Amino acid sequence: MKIEDRLSLLNYKIDKSYAHITVKPDICEVCPDHFCTFACPAKCYTLMEGKLNFKYEDCVECGTCIVACSHGSVDWNNSKGAHGVKYKYG
Amino acid sequence: MSEFDAIVVGGGPAGTSAAMRLAANKLNVLLVEKADPPGSKNVSGGVLWGNSLAGVMPDWEKTAPLERYVKSKGVGFLTKDSSIDINFRSSKFSETKTGYTVLRTKLDQFLNKKAKDAGATVVTGVTVDKLAFEGKKVIGVEQDGDIITSDAVILAEGANPRVAIDSGIRPPLKDQDVAIGVKEVIKLPEKTINERFNLREKEGFAGEYVLGFLEGGVEAGGFLYTNKDSISLGVVVSMKHLRENNQTHSYDIIEQFKEHPSIAPLLDEGKVDEYSAHMVQEGGLESIPKLYGNGYMITGDAAGFSFSNGLVLQGMNYAIASGIAAADTLVEAKSGSGISEQAFSKYEEKLLNSFVLRDMHTFKGIEELTWGSLIHQKMPSILEKVMLGVLMEDGEPKKHMSQIVKEALKESGLKSSKLLLEGYKMYRRM
Repeated sequence: MKIEDRLSLLNYKIDKSYAHITVKPDICEVCPDHFCTFACPAKCYTLMEGKLNFKYEDCVECGTCIVACSHGSVDWNNSKGAHGVKYKYG
Repeated sequence: MSEFDAIVVGGGPAGTSAAMRLAANKLNVLLVEKADPPGSKNVSGGVLWGNSLAGVMPDWEKTAPLERYVKSKGVGFLTKDSSIDINFRSSKFSETKTGYTVLRTKLDQFLNKKAKDAGATVVTGVTVDKLAFEGKKVIGVEQDGDIITSDAVILAEGANPRVAIDSGIRPPLKDQDVAIGVKEVIKLPEKTINERFNLREKEGFAGEYVLGFLEGGVEAGGFLYTNKDSISLGVVVSMKHLRENNQTHSYDIIEQFKEHPSIAPLLDEGKVDEYSAHMVQEGGLESIPKLYGNGYMITGDAAGFSFSNGLVLQGMNYAIASGIAAADTLVEAKSGSGISEQAFSKYEEKLLNSFVLRDMHTFKGIEELTWGSLIHQKMPSILEKVMLGVLMEDGEPKKHMSQIVKEALKESGLKSSKLLLEGYKMYRRM
Protein backbone atom coordinates (compact mmCIF):
# COMPACT_ATOMS: atom_id res chain seq x y z
CA MET A 1 0.00 0.00 0.00
CA LYS A 2 1.43 3.36 -0.99
CA ILE A 3 2.22 5.80 1.80
CA GLU A 4 -0.03 8.41 0.20
CA ASP A 5 -2.98 6.00 0.42
CA ARG A 6 -2.20 5.19 4.04
CA LEU A 7 -1.97 8.87 4.96
CA SER A 8 -5.29 9.51 3.22
CA LEU A 9 -6.94 7.31 5.89
CA LEU A 10 -6.09 9.86 8.57
CA ASN A 11 -8.11 12.73 9.95
CA TYR A 12 -6.40 16.06 10.42
CA LYS A 13 -7.54 19.42 11.67
CA ILE A 14 -5.04 21.50 9.74
CA ASP A 15 -3.76 24.69 11.32
CA LYS A 16 -3.58 27.08 8.37
CA SER A 17 -2.09 29.90 10.42
CA TYR A 18 0.66 28.01 12.25
CA ALA A 19 3.27 25.52 11.09
CA HIS A 20 4.35 23.59 14.19
CA ILE A 21 7.52 22.44 12.43
CA THR A 22 9.76 24.67 10.35
CA VAL A 23 13.03 23.96 8.56
CA LYS A 24 15.87 26.28 7.61
CA PRO A 25 16.26 26.11 3.81
CA ASP A 26 19.86 27.33 3.83
CA ILE A 27 20.86 24.34 6.00
CA CYS A 28 18.83 21.83 3.96
CA GLU A 29 20.29 23.12 0.71
CA VAL A 30 23.81 22.02 1.65
CA CYS A 31 22.74 18.92 3.64
CA PRO A 32 24.92 15.95 2.72
CA ASP A 33 22.46 13.17 3.68
CA HIS A 34 18.82 14.33 3.74
CA PHE A 35 18.16 11.55 6.26
CA CYS A 36 14.83 13.21 7.08
CA THR A 37 13.47 11.97 3.73
CA PHE A 38 14.08 8.35 4.86
CA ALA A 39 13.24 8.74 8.54
CA CYS A 40 9.94 10.66 8.40
CA PRO A 41 7.14 8.06 8.42
CA ALA A 42 4.63 10.52 6.93
CA LYS A 43 6.69 11.53 3.89
CA CYS A 44 6.65 15.20 4.88
CA TYR A 45 10.21 15.60 3.64
CA THR A 46 10.83 14.94 -0.05
CA LEU A 47 13.52 15.85 -2.55
CA MET A 48 12.42 17.59 -5.73
CA GLU A 49 15.23 18.03 -8.23
CA GLY A 50 17.73 17.82 -5.40
CA LYS A 51 15.94 20.47 -3.35
CA LEU A 52 14.28 19.63 -0.04
CA ASN A 53 10.56 20.18 0.10
CA PHE A 54 8.81 20.11 3.48
CA LYS A 55 5.09 20.15 4.21
CA TYR A 56 3.77 20.08 7.75
CA GLU A 57 0.16 19.29 6.84
CA ASP A 58 0.67 15.49 6.68
CA CYS A 59 2.72 15.41 9.90
CA VAL A 60 1.61 12.79 12.45
CA GLU A 61 3.58 14.53 15.23
CA CYS A 62 5.76 11.51 15.92
CA GLY A 63 8.87 13.55 16.74
CA THR A 64 11.20 11.54 14.49
CA CYS A 65 12.56 14.44 12.42
CA ILE A 66 13.85 16.46 15.35
CA VAL A 67 16.18 13.58 16.18
CA ALA A 68 16.79 12.53 12.56
CA CYS A 69 18.08 15.96 11.51
CA SER A 70 21.60 16.15 12.88
CA HIS A 71 22.27 19.51 11.23
CA GLY A 72 20.00 21.71 13.34
CA SER A 73 17.55 22.59 10.62
CA VAL A 74 14.35 21.34 12.26
CA ASP A 75 12.45 23.48 14.74
CA TRP A 76 9.80 21.25 16.35
CA ASN A 77 6.92 22.55 18.45
CA ASN A 78 3.79 20.90 19.72
CA SER A 79 0.71 21.63 17.64
CA LYS A 80 -1.69 24.12 19.18
CA GLY A 81 -5.44 24.36 19.71
CA ALA A 82 -6.04 20.62 19.11
CA HIS A 83 -4.87 21.02 15.51
CA GLY A 84 -3.01 18.33 13.64
CA VAL A 85 -3.51 14.57 13.50
CA LYS A 86 -6.53 12.95 15.15
CA TYR A 87 -6.25 9.19 15.46
CA LYS A 88 -9.27 6.91 15.73
CA TYR A 89 -7.34 4.07 17.40
CA GLY A 90 -3.79 5.25 18.11
CA MET B 1 -0.54 31.21 46.74
CA SER B 2 -0.63 28.99 43.65
CA GLU B 3 -3.76 28.43 41.62
CA PHE B 4 -3.25 24.66 41.80
CA ASP B 5 -1.48 22.19 44.06
CA ALA B 6 -0.27 20.42 40.93
CA ILE B 7 -0.32 20.75 37.17
CA VAL B 8 0.09 17.54 35.21
CA VAL B 9 1.26 18.01 31.61
CA GLY B 10 -0.02 15.22 29.35
CA GLY B 11 -3.09 13.01 29.54
CA GLY B 12 -1.63 9.60 28.73
CA PRO B 13 -1.33 6.70 31.19
CA ALA B 14 1.35 8.46 33.29
CA GLY B 15 -0.43 11.81 33.54
CA THR B 16 -3.92 10.45 34.16
CA SER B 17 -2.64 8.04 36.82
CA ALA B 18 -0.82 10.88 38.58
CA ALA B 19 -3.93 13.08 38.37
CA MET B 20 -6.21 10.34 39.73
CA ARG B 21 -3.89 9.68 42.64
CA LEU B 22 -3.50 13.38 43.48
CA ALA B 23 -7.24 14.01 43.27
CA ALA B 24 -7.91 10.97 45.46
CA ASN B 25 -5.69 12.66 48.06
CA LYS B 26 -7.81 15.83 47.84
CA LEU B 27 -5.19 17.85 46.01
CA ASN B 28 -6.33 20.54 43.61
CA VAL B 29 -4.96 19.25 40.30
CA LEU B 30 -5.05 20.54 36.73
CA LEU B 31 -4.42 18.03 33.96
CA VAL B 32 -3.55 19.65 30.61
CA GLU B 33 -3.65 17.59 27.42
CA LYS B 34 -2.89 19.03 23.98
CA ALA B 35 -5.10 16.66 22.01
CA ASP B 36 -8.86 16.81 21.84
CA PRO B 37 -10.28 14.28 22.35
CA PRO B 38 -7.52 13.08 24.68
CA GLY B 39 -5.61 10.12 23.30
CA SER B 40 -6.14 11.15 19.69
CA LYS B 41 -2.45 11.95 19.23
CA ASN B 42 -1.12 8.95 21.15
CA VAL B 43 0.21 5.75 19.64
CA SER B 44 1.17 2.51 21.31
CA GLY B 45 1.73 -1.03 20.03
CA GLY B 46 0.08 -1.80 22.30
CA VAL B 47 -0.09 -4.27 25.06
CA LEU B 48 -0.70 -2.97 28.57
CA TRP B 49 1.31 -5.33 30.78
CA GLY B 50 0.97 -5.76 34.49
CA ASN B 51 -1.45 -4.54 37.09
CA SER B 52 -0.17 -1.01 37.76
CA LEU B 53 -3.53 0.60 36.99
CA ALA B 54 -4.97 -1.10 40.07
CA GLY B 55 -3.09 1.52 42.08
CA VAL B 56 -5.58 4.15 40.95
CA MET B 57 -8.48 2.01 39.76
CA PRO B 58 -8.91 -1.32 41.55
CA ASP B 59 -11.64 -2.44 39.12
CA TRP B 60 -9.82 -1.41 35.93
CA GLU B 61 -10.00 -4.87 34.37
CA LYS B 62 -13.79 -4.72 34.48
CA THR B 63 -14.25 -1.09 33.45
CA ALA B 64 -11.42 -0.05 31.11
CA PRO B 65 -11.78 -0.45 27.34
CA LEU B 66 -9.52 -3.47 26.86
CA GLU B 67 -9.43 -5.43 23.60
CA ARG B 68 -8.24 -8.95 24.51
CA TYR B 69 -6.06 -10.46 27.21
CA VAL B 70 -2.81 -12.05 26.09
CA LYS B 71 -3.40 -15.80 26.08
CA SER B 72 -0.71 -16.57 23.55
CA LYS B 73 2.72 -14.94 23.31
CA GLY B 74 4.91 -15.35 20.26
CA VAL B 75 8.53 -14.60 19.49
CA GLY B 76 9.82 -15.18 15.99
CA PHE B 77 12.89 -14.85 13.82
CA LEU B 78 12.01 -14.08 10.22
CA THR B 79 14.27 -14.59 7.22
CA LYS B 80 13.27 -13.93 3.62
CA ASP B 81 11.71 -17.39 3.22
CA SER B 82 11.25 -18.74 6.72
CA SER B 83 10.01 -18.06 10.20
CA ILE B 84 11.29 -19.74 13.33
CA ASP B 85 8.77 -19.10 16.10
CA ILE B 86 8.24 -19.87 19.72
CA ASN B 87 4.63 -19.64 20.71
CA PHE B 88 3.92 -19.82 24.39
CA ARG B 89 0.30 -20.46 25.38
CA SER B 90 -0.76 -21.03 28.91
CA SER B 91 -3.94 -21.39 30.91
CA LYS B 92 -1.90 -19.62 33.61
CA PHE B 93 -2.40 -16.54 31.42
CA SER B 94 -6.17 -16.89 31.89
CA GLU B 95 -5.99 -17.16 35.67
CA THR B 96 -3.74 -14.15 36.05
CA LYS B 97 -4.21 -11.83 33.13
CA THR B 98 -0.73 -10.53 32.59
CA GLY B 99 -1.33 -8.32 29.58
CA TYR B 100 -4.16 -6.78 27.57
CA THR B 101 -4.13 -5.41 24.04
CA VAL B 102 -5.43 -1.84 23.98
CA LEU B 103 -6.11 0.98 21.53
CA ARG B 104 -4.85 4.21 23.00
CA THR B 105 -7.45 6.63 21.73
CA LYS B 106 -10.13 4.62 23.53
CA LEU B 107 -8.06 3.87 26.62
CA ASP B 108 -6.79 7.42 27.12
CA GLN B 109 -10.26 8.93 26.77
CA PHE B 110 -11.44 6.57 29.46
CA LEU B 111 -8.47 7.44 31.72
CA ASN B 112 -9.05 11.18 31.27
CA LYS B 113 -12.69 10.73 32.20
CA LYS B 114 -11.66 8.79 35.30
CA ALA B 115 -9.26 11.59 36.28
CA LYS B 116 -12.11 14.06 35.91
CA ASP B 117 -14.47 11.84 37.93
CA ALA B 118 -11.82 11.62 40.65
CA GLY B 119 -11.89 15.41 40.97
CA ALA B 120 -9.11 16.65 38.70
CA THR B 121 -9.72 19.62 36.42
CA VAL B 122 -9.09 18.19 32.96
CA VAL B 123 -8.42 20.59 30.09
CA THR B 124 -7.99 19.21 26.59
CA GLY B 125 -6.94 20.88 23.34
CA VAL B 126 -4.53 23.12 25.24
CA THR B 127 -0.77 23.05 24.62
CA VAL B 128 1.70 23.91 27.36
CA ASP B 129 4.72 25.74 25.92
CA LYS B 130 7.16 25.45 28.79
CA LEU B 131 7.65 25.46 32.51
CA ALA B 132 7.45 28.77 34.38
CA PHE B 133 10.37 29.45 36.72
CA GLU B 134 11.13 31.76 39.59
CA GLY B 135 14.88 31.47 39.83
CA LYS B 136 15.45 27.72 39.68
CA LYS B 137 12.09 26.87 41.18
CA VAL B 138 9.26 25.74 38.92
CA ILE B 139 6.16 27.78 39.73
CA GLY B 140 3.77 26.52 37.08
CA VAL B 141 3.48 26.36 33.30
CA GLU B 142 3.45 28.87 30.49
CA GLN B 143 0.79 28.73 27.81
CA ASP B 144 0.56 31.37 25.08
CA GLY B 145 2.31 33.92 27.25
CA ASP B 146 0.10 33.28 30.29
CA ILE B 147 1.40 31.63 33.42
CA ILE B 148 -0.75 29.18 35.35
CA THR B 149 0.73 28.69 38.79
CA SER B 150 1.04 25.51 40.82
CA ASP B 151 3.10 24.22 43.72
CA ALA B 152 4.47 21.46 41.52
CA VAL B 153 4.42 20.27 37.91
CA ILE B 154 4.40 16.63 36.90
CA LEU B 155 5.59 16.21 33.32
CA ALA B 156 3.95 13.28 31.54
CA GLU B 157 4.22 14.48 27.97
CA GLY B 158 5.33 11.28 26.32
CA ALA B 159 8.12 10.16 24.01
CA ASN B 160 8.81 13.58 22.49
CA PRO B 161 9.15 15.69 25.66
CA ARG B 162 9.16 19.19 24.16
CA VAL B 163 8.24 21.00 27.38
CA ALA B 164 11.05 19.36 29.35
CA ILE B 165 13.60 19.95 26.57
CA ASP B 166 12.49 23.53 25.82
CA SER B 167 12.57 24.32 29.55
CA GLY B 168 16.16 23.12 29.79
CA ILE B 169 15.54 20.35 32.31
CA ARG B 170 16.14 17.47 29.94
CA PRO B 171 18.76 17.07 27.20
CA PRO B 172 17.51 16.69 23.61
CA LEU B 173 17.04 13.11 22.40
CA LYS B 174 19.81 11.41 20.46
CA ASP B 175 19.83 8.49 18.01
CA GLN B 176 20.61 5.92 20.69
CA ASP B 177 17.66 7.07 22.84
CA VAL B 178 14.92 6.34 20.34
CA ALA B 179 13.50 4.18 17.60
CA ILE B 180 10.81 4.95 15.04
CA GLY B 181 7.54 3.10 15.56
CA VAL B 182 5.29 2.66 12.54
CA LYS B 183 1.95 0.91 12.86
CA GLU B 184 -1.23 -0.06 11.03
CA VAL B 185 -4.57 -1.13 12.44
CA ILE B 186 -6.05 -3.75 10.14
CA LYS B 187 -9.73 -4.62 10.36
CA LEU B 188 -10.78 -8.28 10.39
CA PRO B 189 -13.91 -9.95 11.74
CA GLU B 190 -13.61 -11.17 15.32
CA LYS B 191 -14.38 -14.75 14.24
CA THR B 192 -11.64 -14.70 11.59
CA ILE B 193 -9.09 -13.52 14.14
CA ASN B 194 -10.14 -16.26 16.56
CA GLU B 195 -9.74 -18.92 13.87
CA ARG B 196 -6.42 -17.70 12.48
CA PHE B 197 -4.75 -17.33 15.87
CA ASN B 198 -6.41 -20.28 17.59
CA LEU B 199 -8.22 -18.07 20.12
CA ARG B 200 -11.56 -17.99 21.87
CA GLU B 201 -13.57 -14.95 22.85
CA LYS B 202 -11.51 -12.34 24.74
CA GLU B 203 -8.31 -14.33 24.23
CA GLY B 204 -5.52 -12.56 22.38
CA PHE B 205 -2.17 -13.09 20.73
CA ALA B 206 0.88 -10.84 21.08
CA GLY B 207 3.88 -11.52 18.89
CA GLU B 208 7.31 -9.91 18.59
CA TYR B 209 9.57 -10.61 15.63
CA VAL B 210 13.17 -10.05 14.61
CA LEU B 211 13.01 -8.95 10.99
CA GLY B 212 16.18 -10.47 9.59
CA PHE B 213 15.21 -10.07 5.93
CA LEU B 214 14.82 -6.33 5.40
CA GLU B 215 16.23 -4.72 2.27
CA GLY B 216 19.57 -3.04 2.82
CA GLY B 217 20.09 -4.88 6.12
CA VAL B 218 17.98 -2.41 8.13
CA GLU B 219 17.54 -3.50 11.75
CA ALA B 220 13.96 -3.49 12.96
CA GLY B 221 11.65 -5.43 15.20
CA GLY B 222 8.09 -6.27 14.24
CA PHE B 223 5.00 -6.69 16.40
CA LEU B 224 1.56 -8.16 15.81
CA TYR B 225 -1.18 -7.92 18.41
CA THR B 226 -4.80 -8.99 18.13
CA ASN B 227 -7.56 -6.60 19.13
CA LYS B 228 -11.22 -7.59 19.31
CA ASP B 229 -11.92 -7.06 15.61
CA SER B 230 -8.64 -5.73 14.28
CA ILE B 231 -4.93 -6.43 14.25
CA SER B 232 -2.32 -3.92 15.41
CA LEU B 233 0.80 -4.56 13.39
CA GLY B 234 3.94 -2.52 13.18
CA VAL B 235 7.68 -2.15 13.18
CA VAL B 236 10.15 -0.48 15.50
CA VAL B 237 13.13 0.75 13.52
CA SER B 238 16.44 1.73 15.12
CA MET B 239 17.16 5.40 14.38
CA LYS B 240 20.89 4.75 14.49
CA HIS B 241 20.77 1.88 11.99
CA LEU B 242 18.34 3.58 9.65
CA ARG B 243 20.72 6.54 9.54
CA GLU B 244 23.68 4.27 8.75
CA ASN B 245 21.61 2.68 5.99
CA ASN B 246 20.20 6.00 4.68
CA GLN B 247 18.42 4.46 1.70
CA THR B 248 15.28 2.85 3.11
CA HIS B 249 12.12 4.77 3.94
CA SER B 250 10.74 4.10 7.41
CA TYR B 251 7.22 3.82 5.96
CA ASP B 252 8.25 1.02 3.54
CA ILE B 253 9.63 -1.30 6.22
CA ILE B 254 6.19 -2.10 7.64
CA GLU B 255 5.06 -3.12 4.15
CA GLN B 256 7.97 -5.56 3.89
CA PHE B 257 6.87 -7.05 7.23
CA LYS B 258 3.25 -7.36 6.07
CA GLU B 259 4.32 -9.11 2.88
CA HIS B 260 6.43 -11.73 4.65
CA PRO B 261 5.19 -15.24 3.69
CA SER B 262 4.38 -16.15 7.31
CA ILE B 263 2.63 -12.84 8.11
CA ALA B 264 0.68 -12.12 4.91
CA PRO B 265 -1.81 -15.04 5.32
CA LEU B 266 -2.75 -13.75 8.78
CA LEU B 267 -3.83 -10.47 7.21
CA ASP B 268 -5.72 -11.84 4.18
CA GLU B 269 -8.93 -9.90 3.43
CA GLY B 270 -7.97 -7.43 6.15
CA LYS B 271 -8.59 -3.75 5.48
CA VAL B 272 -6.07 -1.16 6.68
CA ASP B 273 -8.14 1.24 8.77
CA GLU B 274 -5.44 3.45 10.24
CA TYR B 275 -1.79 4.27 9.74
CA SER B 276 0.17 5.80 12.61
CA ALA B 277 3.70 6.48 13.78
CA HIS B 278 5.51 7.69 16.86
CA MET B 279 8.96 7.80 18.31
CA VAL B 280 9.63 5.04 20.83
CA GLN B 281 11.92 5.31 23.82
CA GLU B 282 14.57 2.60 23.44
CA GLY B 283 17.68 3.88 25.15
CA GLY B 284 17.50 2.04 28.46
CA LEU B 285 19.18 3.34 31.58
CA GLU B 286 21.63 5.54 29.66
CA SER B 287 18.75 7.65 28.33
CA ILE B 288 17.17 8.51 31.65
CA PRO B 289 17.52 12.20 32.54
CA LYS B 290 17.48 13.83 35.97
CA LEU B 291 14.02 12.87 37.15
CA TYR B 292 13.15 15.69 39.53
CA GLY B 293 14.09 19.19 40.59
CA ASN B 294 12.70 22.03 42.63
CA GLY B 295 9.00 21.90 41.85
CA TYR B 296 8.90 19.27 39.11
CA MET B 297 9.09 15.54 38.38
CA ILE B 298 9.32 13.74 35.01
CA THR B 299 7.33 10.52 34.43
CA GLY B 300 6.65 7.88 31.80
CA ASP B 301 8.09 8.03 28.29
CA ALA B 302 9.20 11.63 28.88
CA ALA B 303 11.64 10.15 31.40
CA GLY B 304 12.69 7.34 29.05
CA PHE B 305 10.89 4.62 31.00
CA SER B 306 10.43 1.70 28.66
CA PHE B 307 11.66 -1.83 28.52
CA SER B 308 12.55 -4.11 25.66
CA ASN B 309 14.50 -7.36 25.79
CA GLY B 310 13.47 -8.71 22.42
CA LEU B 311 10.73 -10.87 23.95
CA VAL B 312 8.50 -8.06 25.19
CA LEU B 313 8.15 -4.36 24.62
CA GLN B 314 6.74 -2.43 27.56
CA GLY B 315 6.07 1.19 28.38
CA MET B 316 2.58 1.85 29.66
CA ASN B 317 3.01 -0.03 32.95
CA TYR B 318 6.18 1.98 33.64
CA ALA B 319 4.29 5.17 32.81
CA ILE B 320 1.45 4.36 35.20
CA ALA B 321 3.72 3.26 38.05
CA SER B 322 5.94 6.35 37.69
CA GLY B 323 2.90 8.66 37.55
CA ILE B 324 1.61 7.16 40.78
CA ALA B 325 5.05 7.41 42.43
CA ALA B 326 5.32 11.09 41.47
CA ALA B 327 1.84 11.79 42.86
CA ASP B 328 2.63 10.02 46.14
CA THR B 329 5.88 11.97 46.47
CA LEU B 330 4.00 15.24 46.06
CA VAL B 331 1.28 14.24 48.52
CA GLU B 332 3.93 13.33 51.11
CA ALA B 333 5.89 16.54 50.53
CA LYS B 334 2.80 18.69 50.94
CA SER B 335 1.78 17.03 54.18
CA GLY B 336 5.36 16.88 55.43
CA SER B 337 8.37 19.12 55.01
CA GLY B 338 6.98 21.01 52.03
CA ILE B 339 8.03 21.14 48.40
CA SER B 340 11.73 21.18 47.69
CA GLU B 341 14.20 19.37 45.48
CA GLN B 342 15.17 17.34 48.55
CA ALA B 343 11.54 16.28 49.11
CA PHE B 344 11.19 15.25 45.46
CA SER B 345 14.30 13.06 45.67
CA LYS B 346 11.88 10.58 47.28
CA TYR B 347 10.40 10.12 43.79
CA GLU B 348 13.61 8.55 42.52
CA GLU B 349 13.87 6.48 45.70
CA LYS B 350 10.37 5.12 45.14
CA LEU B 351 11.24 4.21 41.55
CA LEU B 352 14.47 2.52 42.63
CA ASN B 353 12.40 0.42 45.02
CA SER B 354 9.89 -0.53 42.35
CA PHE B 355 10.14 -2.37 39.04
CA VAL B 356 10.43 0.92 37.15
CA LEU B 357 14.08 1.71 37.83
CA ARG B 358 14.97 -1.77 39.08
CA ASP B 359 14.26 -3.19 35.63
CA MET B 360 16.27 -0.45 33.98
CA HIS B 361 19.24 -1.31 36.21
CA THR B 362 18.83 -5.09 35.96
CA PHE B 363 18.78 -4.92 32.17
CA LYS B 364 21.41 -2.23 31.80
CA GLY B 365 23.08 -2.39 28.41
CA ILE B 366 20.63 -4.86 26.90
CA GLU B 367 19.78 -2.47 24.05
CA GLU B 368 23.33 -2.95 22.76
CA LEU B 369 22.45 -6.64 22.26
CA THR B 370 18.83 -6.36 21.13
CA TRP B 371 19.98 -3.87 18.49
CA GLY B 372 22.93 -5.79 17.13
CA SER B 373 23.88 -7.71 14.01
CA LEU B 374 24.00 -11.01 15.91
CA ILE B 375 20.27 -10.89 16.67
CA HIS B 376 19.12 -9.08 13.55
CA GLN B 377 21.29 -10.57 10.82
CA LYS B 378 23.16 -13.69 11.91
CA MET B 379 20.71 -15.45 14.26
CA PRO B 380 17.78 -15.63 11.81
CA SER B 381 19.92 -17.08 9.02
CA ILE B 382 21.75 -19.52 11.32
CA LEU B 383 18.45 -20.77 12.77
CA GLU B 384 17.01 -21.15 9.27
CA LYS B 385 19.99 -23.19 8.08
CA VAL B 386 19.88 -25.43 11.14
CA MET B 387 16.14 -26.06 10.81
CA LEU B 388 16.42 -26.75 7.09
CA GLY B 389 19.42 -29.01 7.72
CA VAL B 390 17.48 -31.03 10.27
CA LEU B 391 14.08 -31.09 8.59
CA MET B 392 14.63 -31.11 4.82
CA GLU B 393 14.72 -34.56 3.27
CA ASP B 394 16.85 -34.42 0.15
CA GLY B 395 17.92 -38.05 -0.22
CA GLU B 396 21.46 -37.32 0.95
CA PRO B 397 22.98 -39.09 3.98
CA LYS B 398 21.87 -37.40 7.21
CA LYS B 399 24.24 -35.38 9.38
CA HIS B 400 24.46 -34.91 13.11
CA MET B 401 22.92 -31.69 14.38
CA SER B 402 26.32 -30.57 15.70
CA GLN B 403 27.71 -30.79 12.15
CA ILE B 404 24.76 -28.80 10.76
CA VAL B 405 25.22 -26.10 13.39
CA LYS B 406 28.95 -25.97 12.68
CA GLU B 407 28.33 -25.51 8.96
CA ALA B 408 25.66 -22.85 9.54
CA LEU B 409 28.03 -20.93 11.80
CA LYS B 410 30.83 -21.19 9.29
CA GLU B 411 28.62 -19.88 6.51
CA SER B 412 27.49 -16.96 8.67
CA GLY B 413 31.09 -15.93 9.24
CA LEU B 414 30.48 -15.99 12.98
CA LYS B 415 33.27 -17.56 14.99
CA SER B 416 31.99 -19.99 17.60
CA SER B 417 34.10 -18.24 20.25
CA LYS B 418 32.32 -14.97 19.38
CA LEU B 419 28.94 -16.69 19.46
CA LEU B 420 29.72 -18.12 22.87
CA LEU B 421 30.82 -14.73 24.15
CA GLU B 422 27.79 -12.90 22.75
CA GLY B 423 25.49 -15.71 23.85
CA TYR B 424 26.91 -15.53 27.34
CA LYS B 425 26.48 -11.74 27.44
CA MET B 426 22.90 -12.11 26.32
CA TYR B 427 22.22 -14.88 28.83
CA ARG B 428 23.64 -12.69 31.61
CA ARG B 429 21.83 -9.54 30.57
CA MET B 430 18.44 -11.08 29.87
